Amino acid sequence: MWKLITVAALVVLSAGTAAAQETQPPTREQAIEQAQAEKDKVLHPVVPTKAEYWLDKAESILSDGMRWHPFFENAYSGGGFTLGAGYAFYLGSYSFLDVRGSYTITGYKRLEAEYLAPRLFNRRGKLSLLGGWRDATQVAFYGIGGGTTDNAPTNYRFTQPYGSALLTLRPTRRVLMLRGGAEYSQWTQKHGEGTDPSVEEVYTPQTLPGLGAKVTYLHSQGTVGLDWLAPAPDYARRGTYLGVTGHDYNDKDKNFGFQQVDYEAIQHIPILREAWVISLHGRVQTAFNKSGQEIPFFMLPSVGGGSSLRGFSSWRFRDNNSLLMQAEWRIMVNRFLDAAFFYDAGKVTARTKDLDFDHLRDDYGFGLRFHSPFATPLRVELAKSNEGLSIVFASSAAF
Amino acid sequence: MSSTFMQSLTRRAGFLLLTGAALGLLATGVSTKGLKFYSDDPISREPESQDPSKAQPYTIGSLYEMTYNLFVTAGYKPTGVRAQNINTIGEVPDSSWFTNRIGTVPVTTEQIVRGPLVGAPPDPSKWVLTREKTSGVHPGFTARDAKGETWFLEFDPPEFPEGATGAVAVATKLFWALGYNQVESYLSTFDPKHVEIDPKATIKRPNGKRTPFTHDDINAILEHVAQNKDGTYRIVAGRLLPGKILGGFLYIGTRPDDPNDIVPHQHRRELRALRVFGAWTNLTDLKAANTLDTLVTENGRTFVKHYLQDVGSTFGMCNDKYEWDLSWEHFYQGDTTRKRLFTLGFGLSPWQTVKYEEYPSIGKFEGDVWDPRKWRPQTPTTAYMELRDDDAFWAARRVAAFTDELIRAAVHQGQYSDPKAEKLLGDVLIKRRDRIKSIYLTAVNPIVSPKLDGGKLTFDNAAVAGGVAPAPSMYRASWFRFDNATGESQPISDTQGSTTTLDAPSGLPSSSGSFVRVDIAADSDGHPTWKKPVHTYFRRGADGWKLVGLERMPDAPDAPAKK
Repeated sequence: MWKLITVAALVVLSAGTAAAQETQPPTREQAIEQAQAEKDKVLHPVVPTKAEYWLDKAESILSDGMRWHPFFENAYSGGGFTLGAGYAFYLGSYSFLDVRGSYTITGYKRLEAEYLAPRLFNRRGKLSLLGGWRDATQVAFYGIGGGTTDNAPTNYRFTQPYGSALLTLRPTRRVLMLRGGAEYSQWTQKHGEGTDPSVEEVYTPQTLPGLGAKVTYLHSQGTVGLDWLAPAPDYARRGTYLGVTGHDYNDKDKNFGFQQVDYEAIQHIPILREAWVISLHGRVQTAFNKSGQEIPFFMLPSVGGGSSLRGFSSWRFRDNNSLLMQAEWRIMVNRFLDAAFFYDAGKVTARTKDLDFDHLRDDYGFGLRFHSPFATPLRVELAKSNEGLSIVFASSAAF
Repeated sequence: MSSTFMQSLTRRAGFLLLTGAALGLLATGVSTKGLKFYSDDPISREPESQDPSKAQPYTIGSLYEMTYNLFVTAGYKPTGVRAQNINTIGEVPDSSWFTNRIGTVPVTTEQIVRGPLVGAPPDPSKWVLTREKTSGVHPGFTARDAKGETWFLEFDPPEFPEGATGAVAVATKLFWALGYNQVESYLSTFDPKHVEIDPKATIKRPNGKRTPFTHDDINAILEHVAQNKDGTYRIVAGRLLPGKILGGFLYIGTRPDDPNDIVPHQHRRELRALRVFGAWTNLTDLKAANTLDTLVTENGRTFVKHYLQDVGSTFGMCNDKYEWDLSWEHFYQGDTTRKRLFTLGFGLSPWQTVKYEEYPSIGKFEGDVWDPRKWRPQTPTTAYMELRDDDAFWAARRVAAFTDELIRAAVHQGQYSDPKAEKLLGDVLIKRRDRIKSIYLTAVNPIVSPKLDGGKLTFDNAAVAGGVAPAPSMYRASWFRFDNATGESQPISDTQGSTTTLDAPSGLPSSSGSFVRVDIAADSDGHPTWKKPVHTYFRRGADGWKLVGLERMPDAPDAPAKK
């Protein structure tokens, strides 16, 4: 630093002496021209600062599409803090192959490759081809039904190779959304690695359908949706979404086949010019076993976790049917940050007709969401239920 | 130490030296060494004596600029120094940045209707697309018209039919009249039936490569723009600027590769004044990407010409119709963030309750609640932060010079199909003009146009003339002999009167080349700042006294006059 100061001082001083020795220009115009002539001696191109260099670099990466990118989706809900990365290989102007993996603090692993073609049929269709493998080491299981307690948890591990194709169509490129696809996967249960007892230490295949089974599914699904969400599904401040999805899980061995229907509705109601938004979410899942077959415990509809009943653990309640209702009062703090108070309520039931508003489990909480105009890269929430406090870190919107 | 590092140090030191030198060159009163006034003061044109042909293109990254302005510039403490490119009478000389028009010379309705347009409009009977649009938020193309001339085409978003194009058409007229270099922009039409794609045309894809432009690329853009009932599209076509494109200019510092650019941009009055002009027109997107430097040769002289290239983010035009806080807050502000977070949004901001009469072609634009002092662009600039009351006064005089007729003539160039929308835009601009007048013309001593002739000192009061303040009860003038070499003032006498004509005292110097200083103040209830005198300087010539200096807000504290 002293060298910088010395050099600068010398230059200033020498210039000052020279200036003193010179006579004053006779006109203002000549005085200005003299200064311009002096500057002409020290011209140089613009030299970006380091901060500018690195932010330009970041902007270039963002605008050109990120080849290397972070990947925060864990192998299975409840895996805890996740780190991951991916690399996208462009195969066409828009289509790319994304190879990615993640690892969680509890040892959940996920490795997969997805081919995504986002502009099919004159920008009316998007195709995803996905293949991968995952390992969830300690998935929580508290029993079946809404009356279970959290003082006797068990856990299980599973590994799963999977391959799927999913086509999303927007025939009018706007509201109507159709989605269909199929997935081939194999679920292999293993001894749970959590601190709680492993599930087979507490249950038997007779008391818990699917326990120990190795199930190979051909899962086909179809969705019809009406999507008015804006500005984007992962960060919406207004609009409505209504959707119905039908699933068919076909077990290769014809033991654990079932069907499921998901109904979902989202409504964002802006107040005072979006300074506040009342956001409502409802979801009903109903699963039906196929004739002579059972729904394995690990495929039952569930509530609990960071995007459903946030004050409860992931997979806290499981049964044939689930009901989830969420309400948020979102507060626009600034263009990049929202705060929200939320209330979640839900239940699981064995029978569809029991999906009513009685005996709901509920929670409430407060959260902050750091967002861009179209996405919510960080959601931090504190939720309280009768089973305690939960902290949620997520890289997507709650709904 | 590497030679590169040494060069860098030398450049930095040189820059400091030159900046310091430049600060004293244009404005009077900054330097007390040597003559205060040169023989050619006040200059009417800023010279550009050096050849800047070596200037190289440079474009600041928008992410860096936005981040810097939101989190660094927003905390910038204004230096308070006087604008440095003004001449000795406090006016902005013509330059490659600015041309004195309205407020300096009369501007007619015909002139404002023509504005920056000097050539022929585009021939839209055929468009040949050559490239995607490279700047601005609204969709568009780069294309050649039927005559083969290159234009930048911009469409209207579906929620703002006629809005984005009309804003450009109107705002270019207003900013041209205000003195800024503007792009020639014409309203025109785009008929997809008469569109071709240049075989060499390419577009940048998400994979980073440029590949041939396709009809589907055209469709992808046209699906998101407003369409006319006959299947055509309304566009605004901006003519390709001549010269070598050097990138946008910054609102801070100088171009290190332009020898003629010696006044830091934050100290250029016309750039500071964009805070007032921007507030008037709601020019919210004050970023380098909306400006442009070009290397041009005109009349055998090569220089860098500075444009306000994109003034389309004006009036009620924004990125989407839900940007309620636009122009009321920067994209990020610590104070409003804290307020909303800790009050859970119950601490309402004005934009949440202000009422708008909305037309799709105009957007959210009103003049009843609006206050120019509280207006906020998307991000602050250093020049914006440096605005002083005398800069705002200068700007307000220009805004005030727009008559209702001129404003409505400019607005009519937006070719709005709804007469109510056109009327609203004109009404709001007039309301805002009047508010600017009432705030900024009265904030400082508004004495203007002093003349010393025939033993009488005459002047105008811009606030009174503008109808925004009553005449003061008294004007007071303190007279001094002024020594141009030493800067010393010797008192002669004080005079006073209730009109804008005051008698000169006896004893004024009569020799050619002698100077007098006259400090003019006013007594006005409700305007205590008018007591602070405007310092005026006159030089005696063969044909009488000539105004050579006017300091409304001198930098240095007033030197105590010797009695």
